[in-house]
Amino acid sequence: MAEATSADGVRAFAASRRFSVAIVERWLRLADGDRAALLRLAERLRLGENQFRDLLDWSEEIAVRERCSIADIWKRESLAAVLARPLGRNEMIVAVKSALRVLRFPQLAAAEARLAELIRQLKLPRGIRVHLPEHLEGDEVRIELSARSAGALRNRVAALQQALSAPQMDEIFRALEEAP
Amino acid sequence: MTRWLPDHVWIERGEEDSPIARRVRESLPGVPTTIAGDVRRAEPAGLEAFAAGKRRLVLQRHRGGFLQHCPAGTPGLVCCNYLVVDLVSNCPYDCSYCFLQDYLGNNPALKAFTNPGDALAEIDAVLRAHPERDFRIGTGELADSLALDPITGLTGELVPFFARHRNATLELKTKSDCVDNLLHLDPRGRVVVSWSVNATAICAEDEAGTASLGERLAAARRVQAAGYRVGFHFDPLIEHPGWEEGYRDTVALIAAAVDARRIAWISLGSLRLTPTLRTAMRARPQSTQVLSAELVPSPDGKARVWRGLRTKMYRTIQGYLREAFPNAPTYLCMEPAAVWQNVRGEAPSDREVAARLAAGVAR
Repeated sequence: MAEATSADGVRAFAASRRFSVAIVERWLRLADGDRAALLRLAERLRLGENQFRDLLDWSEEIAVRERCSIADIWKRESLAAVLARPLGRNEMIVAVKSALRVLRFPQLAAAEARLAELIRQLKLPRGIRVHLPEHLEGDEVRIELSARSAGALRNRVAALQQALSAPQMDEIFRALEEAP
Repeated sequence: MTRWLPDHVWIERGEEDSPIARRVRESLPGVPTTIAGDVRRAEPAGLEAFAAGKRRLVLQRHRGGFLQHCPAGTPGLVCCNYLVVDLVSNCPYDCSYCFLQDYLGNNPALKAFTNPGDALAEIDAVLRAHPERDFRIGTGELADSLALDPITGLTGELVPFFARHRNATLELKTKSDCVDNLLHLDPRGRVVVSWSVNATAICAEDEAGTASLGERLAAARRVQAAGYRVGFHFDPLIEHPGWEEGYRDTVALIAAAVDARRIAWISLGSLRLTPTLRTAMRARPQSTQVLSAELVPSPDGKARVWRGLRTKMYRTIQGYLREAFPNAPTYLCMEPAAVWQNVRGEAPSDREVAARLAAGVAR
């Protein structure tokens, strides 16, 4: 009975959001508990098809890797904590996706967190931004300086010069080269 | 392993008496055969077309050139100057990650071409035109080089041809143990039989229909004893829980099985997926752990494990290989110079890589 209910719910939700047949079939092929967990999420966040597909892909991939169910993933504290936050729909979708990404890419997320911490430790002033390659798929760091006067620019270059000799700068390049 | 047999053989009219067609019919007396003027009728259609295509064998003439540069030679990536010749199209095995399920999605019937003599004539002309060059030529790009050999007997034409040429090496790349036909041929140093290998968990779960790792290595041992050099391709490397132990164990199994002095080359290549291949993999009935690797988009549009993790995998596995096979030439497949530099401390040119691999044959 519960299985029929969640399948009906999936069809009704998908029809209301004009989901394609392919994604609905894929959703319906899931185990009942997984199907229902994603239905609760989709209804709560009023997900569009592309947003839903992203979350479904990652959920399935985490479940295969960790040999658990999709429903179990969505019960995890990190996701439950995000879902409990008082955020608007769009902010919530971004926050949920970000939290799920940490589970989907645990080593990449750890490397990104480590790099963010190293950059923070450089204590760079405003007007200096460090850009890392997207998804860390590369080893090139780009540094952006912005200023509204020659004096301000000189100050930023001096601050950057000081940061260049910090051990964190070397560590950033080492961290980009190989996963910990 | 279980020998592959087609459910049905289709032969293009006019090719019934080609040597391959005769050998196939002799080796498959009980399999229904249709001779057709237009063998495109044999192409399956519908949702299960790719799976259906692997259960039928089409024998047809190949129109057009055979010899091509390996598609791995993409601008921006270090390339080993490898040439490929497609004598068979598609593969009876069903690896979850195989690019053919996307690449041959529209013409999935398994085909063996009935005019390999034309391919050999084309190769002969190239070898004669460039006597100063050492060519490495493989038949394992759109097919497994040996999976159909018990039926087609193609190696009986290929090995003697390459044995007669001093400036080319044939690579037969396989996941099978179909080496019987090779054992009574003399390669005269011009043929490398290579195996695509992986961690045993990946071989068992994601390489349906292939020989087990143990069977592949037993076959490698047999061909070495028959005078062939062997190669190994750790490709695709797949990041999965326990990958370090998995690949370490595979290296150890190879070391226990073969004579390290007669290894021509070993390659390492990370899993790479086009967006359409990823979609095809998701549509498979069984889920695969391959898609759960930490894959991100690369500059060439393919998804790969992100660079830092890939580098870690390459360094780790290369460490195992250097310990077990200190003198075997190793190389990376489809990686930019920057990754070569990080992994190996060098960024050789395409020509240098090719020369080293040719030397691997000459050792």
